[in-house]
Formats: sequence, C-alpha cells, structure tokens
Amino acid sequence: MTVTASTESTEPVATARHDGDPARVRWLIFARDRGIVVLWVLLLAGFGLWARPYFATVDNAILIANAAALTAIFAAGIAVGIICGALDLSIPGTAAMAGCVCGWLMTHDMPVWVGLLAGLAVGVVVGLVNGLIALRGFNPIIVTIGTLSVLSGLAATLAGGYTIPGLLDLEFMGTRRYLGVPAPVWIVALLFVVGTVFLTRTRDGIRMMAVGGNAEAVRRSGVHSDRYKVLGFVISGFCAALGGLVTAALVTEANPAANPGIIFNALTAVALAGVALSGGRGSLPRVLVGALILGTISNGLTIKGIQPYWATTLTGALLLASLGLEKWVSTTVSRRLVATAAASAHTGTR
Amino acid sequence: MSETPALELRDIDMHYGYVRALDGIDVAVRQGEVLGLLGDNGAGKSTLLKVMSGAHQPTSGTILVRGAPVVFHSPSDSTRAGIEMVYQDLALVDAQDIATNLNIGREILRRGPLGWLGFVDHKAQRKRSAAELDRLGVRTAAMTRPVEMLSGGQRQVVALARAASRVIGGVPGPPGEASRAGLAGGVPGPPGEASRAGLAGGVLLLDEPTAALGYEQTRQVQALIRRMAENGVACVLVTHNLPLAIDVCDRIVVLNRGRKVADVATSATDNDQLVGWITGARASMFA
Repeated sequence: MTVTASTESTEPVATARHDGDPARVRWLIFARDRGIVVLWVLLLAGFGLWARPYFATVDNAILIANAAALTAIFAAGIAVGIICGALDLSIPGTAAMAGCVCGWLMTHDMPVWVGLLAGLAVGVVVGLVNGLIALRGFNPIIVTIGTLSVLSGLAATLAGGYTIPGLLDLEFMGTRRYLGVPAPVWIVALLFVVGTVFLTRTRDGIRMMAVGGNAEAVRRSGVHSDRYKVLGFVISGFCAALGGLVTAALVTEANPAANPGIIFNALTAVALAGVALSGGRGSLPRVLVGALILGTISNGLTIKGIQPYWATTLTGALLLASLGLEKWVSTTVSRRLVATAAASAHTGTR
Repeated sequence: MSETPALELRDIDMHYGYVRALDGIDVAVRQGEVLGLLGDNGAGKSTLLKVMSGAHQPTSGTILVRGAPVVFHSPSDSTRAGIEMVYQDLALVDAQDIATNLNIGREILRRGPLGWLGFVDHKAQRKRSAAELDRLGVRTAAMTRPVEMLSGGQRQVVALARAASRVIGGVPGPPGEASRAGLAGGVPGPPGEASRAGLAGGVLLLDEPTAALGYEQTRQVQALIRRMAENGVACVLVTHNLPLAIDVCDRIVVLNRGRKVADVATSATDNDQLVGWITGARASMFA
C-alpha cells in the first residue's frame, strides 16, 4: 500500500484541508498581520468623534499624511535594513550628507537635477560602504555608528559648519502641491509602492527577505547571500538620502547636523508595524501605517490642544501594547498548530 | 538499471592531525538504493558524509560520481554534481512560506517584460511545489503557510523535499502521472517514469533526518525516503536509530573507529548482528 494511494482513497477530508488553515489560526494571523491597520482605523474613528469637526476632514488627512511623510521615508530605510538583517544607524548622517551635497552643488551653480542625483548617489555609496564593511564580519550596528560620525563630520566640513540656505529650487519636492496633495506624500506613495512590489514580487526582493531570515539557508540553496546583504544596506542608504533631500526641500536649506531623533521616530513606526528586529519578516505597507499612526496621534492631540508630550507618551504605550499583542498571537498560534499538527502532519501518510 | 554506482568512494583516508577519522573506506551507493551508515559516536559516519558532501576533503582516496572521478573543494561542487545534503538543522527560512522555501535559488520568473524585471511567478511556483510534494506523497499544509507555523515533522518534510526536488530536478511531471505510478505498487519494481527519463541519478545525503521527530512523524519521513528511492534517487542515511535503518535501508554499512566493519544487504542481517558490529563485539567482515 503506498502513501499516495491512501491519501486519495481514504482521506478526502484531509485533501480538502490542504489549502486551508484552522479558522482560529487564520484569525490570529490576521490579527498579527493586519492588527496595526485595525488599530489605526480605531484611532481615526476615535479622534474623528472626539475632535469633531476638525479632525475628519480631507484637509486634515492631507496634513497628517504630510506630517508622516518624512518619518515614513526614514522608516522605510530602517525597515529594509532590519528585514535584511541589519539595523542601519547611519541614516541621519546619510540624510545630512545627501542634503549638504545637493545644497553645495546647487549653490555652486549646478543644475538641480545634478544635485539631486548626487545626493541619492551619496546614499547608495554609503550603503555600499556599510554593507561591504559589515560583510567582513563586523557588527553592523557599530559599523553604521562609525559611518554616522564620519558622515556628519564630512557634511559639516562640506557646509563649512553652517546650514546651506536658499535652496528655493527644491521647493517643487517640498511644499508644492500637486492635485492638492503635497509633493512629499507623492514621493512616499511612490517609494512604498515600488518597495512593496520589489520585496514581495521580485526574485531579488524575496531573496533579500530570505537572507534576513536565514542567510545560511539561502547560501545552501546556491544563492550568493552576501550580495543581498549589501543590497539591503544600499536600499537603506538610498531611502536615507531621499529623506535628507526631502527634508532640505521642505525647509529650503541643508543642515549638516545629523539629527539622531529621526532614527527613534522611524524605529517606533517600524516596531509598531511588527517588523521583527531579528530580521526576515515585515511589510512596508504596515510600516507606512505605523508612520501614519504616529502622525495621527500627534495631529489629533494637537487639535484638542493637548500638550505634545502626551503624544510621545501615548505612542510609547501603543508600542509596548503592540509588543504584547505580537507575543500573545505568536505563542497562541504555535500552541494551536502543535495541537492540530498531529492531524495535519499525516494527511499525506497512511 | 545500470550497475555504475551513483556515488562511489574508493579507499578514503581522512586524518585530523594524528587522529585517523577514516581509514581506507570503500563505499558505493546505486541509484534507487537507500544506504544506511551506522556506527557509534566517533566511528566516522558524519565525517564520511561530509566527505561525500564536499564539506571535508579526504586526505587520500577517490570519489566517483556515476563512474567519473571528481574532486570536491566545497559543498557547491557536490551540489553541481547532483549531490544534496539535508542538514540536521534543516536550514529553512522560517518567515517565508513553503513554496518560497522550496523555490529559492531556482525561482520561476513571469513571462514577458515583468519577468525581465525579475518578477516571480508565485502561482507557478506554488503549483510546482505542490506537484513536487504530491509526487513525494507528503503534501502537508497550504503552500502559503509560513514554515515557522509548521510542526517539526512537517518542517523536516519540507527540508527533505527541498533537497529531493533539487536532486530529482525541477521538472514536476504531471502530478497525476506520478501518483499513478506510485499506485502501481509499493515495491520499486520497474524503474519509474522519472528514472527512465534520466531525471534521476542524484544523491541525497541525510544526517539523522528523524532525530527530532516523534513516532508518527518518523514514519512519515521514512515513507518519504523510500519514495525518493523509488524515484531513482540514491540515498545515504546516517542514523543512530537502528530500527529506522533496518526498516528503510536496502543496504547497511557499519563503521567502527574509522574502518568499515560491515557492508551487508539489510535482508541478510539483523538487529543483533548490527549491534555487534557497531559496538565492536563482532569481528569485522573484512578483517
């Protein structure tokens, strides 16, 4: 009697179950994967009622999106780094450097596009350097702290220690609106659509996530996992540079001082989105929602005239609560699955 | 079936400093055969397996793949020669689903411009993975289930299937066809469609594949190994589990302190004899 024969003849029920999970498990997975969206919707509804009629308007929605845009760009960089297995702390330095390079070129009579391309190239180069150093077996956190210092020093040197003002030509990607929506929001939308498609639909993106999860497994499959580690740093650096350029465009000046605060803001959004620091899992749309949640909270509380410290407090509390939820869901799921494993592990055997 | 072994090792010596880990070992495994490597701790089983997988280079001796001498400098050399190792620690990407794990490194790209951009055809990949698991008779969960949500037995099955599908080749063959061939009878009788098509010829190295598994899961993995052998794969199984070896292996080689002390058909031996060879209480067949 062979294995397949028994599957086909005696276990039609089991066969039907092949493609589904127990309903409760599916619900838990939904809570884990979409919980942050539910949370955001609840927040929106809550503020919509509480801060009537000022909160739930199109104008305010655009305000929130615009306020969340910068956090979202940096969060994308952090998230890609973490998903690929490394926390990139050089992001503020890369952002400052990109802004200063762009500003310096523009004040030295270069066309705007040259400045922008050079700024983005800074991000890519920093990512390459980070990645290649980290590949030598050094701890990526220390490596990127090192490049953070190097970059902020270089940016200050380039800018002569002062901000580079008067970058009015960057206004087109700063405060200008297209179809009523500010430019940074468009940039974020484009970045996240491209990033999400890359990570979930393309070979290189999927391999990159897999490398973050278990580089050894990918290596044993005959894939050069090192290449994808470096790619993660490069994308992270690119996002950082983009964020730096948008920052410069918003305030029409390039500030050489790296602002470490953006890391913590972005990390909060990333952690809210349930991106595991151990790497290999996470999704960009959720990171976007994480950034939007931060924006929503500070916006709603501002409308109600509550001191901004409370926004920070509430955000922190939410973060801790989301950690708890994550833990609870994953333990419950694994317990459930162990309970049902006996059944499902055998659907193929006699 | 041809008599040229799928993998043959001749007079393999392996020294670590003054320690002789392997001493003049001759081993061969034919297509469709399951060879058990038994021995006490330190007998050299794992070292021998690592020589086969290219992780270790022998001090002297010859390795032949399908009759042709080869030198493995690294595991990727042996992979290219059609030898796949299933590691004890499984080496799966936990956060990714079954289909992704089975397809990584040999993804199916979409047709047309999207494919040129590197877009993966998830649907085709899931279909191929389902077909491969069906063919091995071990489809256990939805292809979209992340590996971290599988039980230990299911993970082992995925790890085995990953190695097997690489050895057998990515060609899934019509799933119906494969299961029908299985229906014909459990005994490997006439070589299956796969081996005649020349897809077989690969070698699968298994290091304690059931170490972490319970009784039922062990039986499932056991059935899977048999089924791969039926598909024409040569399997080398290192294990401490004597009943498993007797159940699943066609032939058993016993090592004792780096020497081969027995090489017998499973049907021609029994538990007590094997224990004797393993412990050294029984004299070597080759002494």
